[in-house]
Amino acid sequence: MTEGNDLINLTIDGIEIGVEPGTYVIDAAERTGVLIPRYCYHPGIPSRPAQCRVCLVKIEGQPKLQPSCKMTAQEGMVVHTASEEAEDARKAVIELLLVNHPLDCPICDAAGQCMLQDYALETEQLRSRLHEEKLVQGRDRIADDILYFADRCIICTRCVRFMSEVAGDEALIVAQRGHRSVIDTFPGRDLDHPFQGNIVDICPVGALVHEDFLFKARLWDLDQAASICPGCSTGCNVTIDVKENQIVRLKPRHNPEVNSYWMCDHGRKHLVMSNRGERAEVPLIRRDGRLGAADWSDALAWVADHLLEVTGGDAVVSPEAANESLFFLRELLDRLGIGGGSFRVPTGEEVTLAGFPKLALRAERAPNAAGAELFGFARTDDPAPSPAGAGLIVLEDPLSDHEPEWGEDVGFFLYVGGRLSSAARNAHAVLPVTGFAEMQGSFTNFEGRVQRFDQALQPPGLARPAWMILSRLIAELDARRDGETAIETPLEARQAFSAMAVATPELAGLDWDSIGPKGARLAAAGEAVSADVT
Amino acid sequence: MAGSVKVLKRPGTEGSYVRAASKGLGVTLKHMIRPYKVTQQYPDEKWELAPRLRGTHRMAVHEDGRAKCVGCGLCPTVCPVNCIKLIPAEDENGERYAAIYEIDEFRCIFCGFCQEVCPVEAIHLGVHYENAEYSRERWVYDLERLTELEHPYTALWDPADPTSQ
Repeated sequence: MTEGNDLINLTIDGIEIGVEPGTYVIDAAERTGVLIPRYCYHPGIPSRPAQCRVCLVKIEGQPKLQPSCKMTAQEGMVVHTASEEAEDARKAVIELLLVNHPLDCPICDAAGQCMLQDYALETEQLRSRLHEEKLVQGRDRIADDILYFADRCIICTRCVRFMSEVAGDEALIVAQRGHRSVIDTFPGRDLDHPFQGNIVDICPVGALVHEDFLFKARLWDLDQAASICPGCSTGCNVTIDVKENQIVRLKPRHNPEVNSYWMCDHGRKHLVMSNRGERAEVPLIRRDGRLGAADWSDALAWVADHLLEVTGGDAVVSPEAANESLFFLRELLDRLGIGGGSFRVPTGEEVTLAGFPKLALRAERAPNAAGAELFGFARTDDPAPSPAGAGLIVLEDPLSDHEPEWGEDVGFFLYVGGRLSSAARNAHAVLPVTGFAEMQGSFTNFEGRVQRFDQALQPPGLARPAWMILSRLIAELDARRDGETAIETPLEARQAFSAMAVATPELAGLDWDSIGPKGARLAAAGEAVSADVT
Repeated sequence: MAGSVKVLKRPGTEGSYVRAASKGLGVTLKHMIRPYKVTQQYPDEKWELAPRLRGTHRMAVHEDGRAKCVGCGLCPTVCPVNCIKLIPAEDENGERYAAIYEIDEFRCIFCGFCQEVCPVEAIHLGVHYENAEYSRERWVYDLERLTELEHPYTALWDPADPTSQ
């Protein structure tokens, strides 16, 4: 048992636990492995109105049941979360919530992730005892892209409190009273906040639904991947939900160091939209003046042959490229005598989340600008002129706002990327690489936090991660020069990461496992944050 | 070693065939007189089918002719052979409906799970088995075809014995 002067010892369902003073019973119970049902309580929202009454527990010595989300742990407290009295009370609460609930689980987008559905099943309330007609209130558009189903709502007021306490914008209120209560915007106000999408995530039932996700997928059909939002340099931890190899939505993943439980609306839409359009699916090499398809071994050999003649030139990279890709590109550029290289970052207005100031939609709208700087690439504003007669390597930058004749006069133009704009079609060779969600890798966010992301989608055709292609290209080039190569050719992102960490002093001490799902700071390399279950 | 072989005693050759032949003819005569028919003149005479026979699907419709399906996705989830394709969408009233609903009857194993799981009693199996087609594509029934069929629905349980006693 934990002993110590500053810990408070209490017993929950027969398990003794020591917690810090000020810990609430509901959180203490969670640490012992007892998940007390909750609707109105959310760990990311400061207030605890204790109004849903579903977390009632029996505390010995107290005459009435107490809401565990509002009770701080006391020394010697004995809590029973599953006593008959508490279970009866919980069952009654659920029954009352179901009085006007339409029970339209089959067409509700929250079915499968709904706390009301779970607890109704748990308390075995499959049939209502009510004979009256249910109150039907219909649905409402509460914001541009958010629909509100009043009948499903249980008035937990999480959304109202998120807007007022975390977003700092009192746009939502509870209108009407009693069983006619509904969530509505304040009279004369619209809900229009850059972080409003979070009210959908925290809704414990299916009352608030994103319109772009409405009726799109059943939750059990979705594949999920832990990832990083590429919308700005904050690098919010997200879960990418995928259906049939299409990204359908992003959900924030809890990380107290970066984004808490939240993410912005820009990030939610950014990836879903950026994942469209045509892609290069096979390596292309220029023979007789025309780009033609080749297989990987031919293409790499052909490119390596031509790179032998390159000395000096320029490089253009994308701040959406992974650390590993940028590292291997830098290794390749060093061999070709190309120093420098540049990248451009799209910018926008910076918006901070009032209740969690660490989280902001940063002005820098790319996930890995810090990583590009780490590997020696310089920030520019305007498209650089193409280096006439010399070598040019472009990594993942779509070149969409470059002149169509950009790169025509280059000695050897290698395009490593997936999207073929007219400027990219001037390349002598195109090596198709996977986009951000189609590979594993890592990003460095604005404060130097290295965070890894997992693969969510199957890449198109023969596209491979850029770190895999570039490392093999280096090996081919070395073999042509002196017959030996010092570079490893990684098969997995973890191998690419360790090759990068060994060669980069800033990353010393980090490896794929130690940065974990929550990332680690470059400065505090030794103290990687361990994963905690939320 | 030959001593272990058992030699059966065969009937003698002296008996008459008349007795056995008359016995056989007796059976023939009996069937000639009794009006008991086994052979059914199939295309002209149809079987009388059990109410629980699980055959070709049918989609139930509302009075206005719309399919009852709400596009919940439970039937493609429960289908053990993945023969149901469903793409839900939002109709002009904001309700969920099946924009595309197709059942591949060729792949279907007629287990009846889709009918059991349907929360709005829209998709049913039917008491119907005659579905020959000239091409395999015709075996994929779309929503229009499923709603136009008119054979009776399969009963999920025997009406005379609802608890299967």
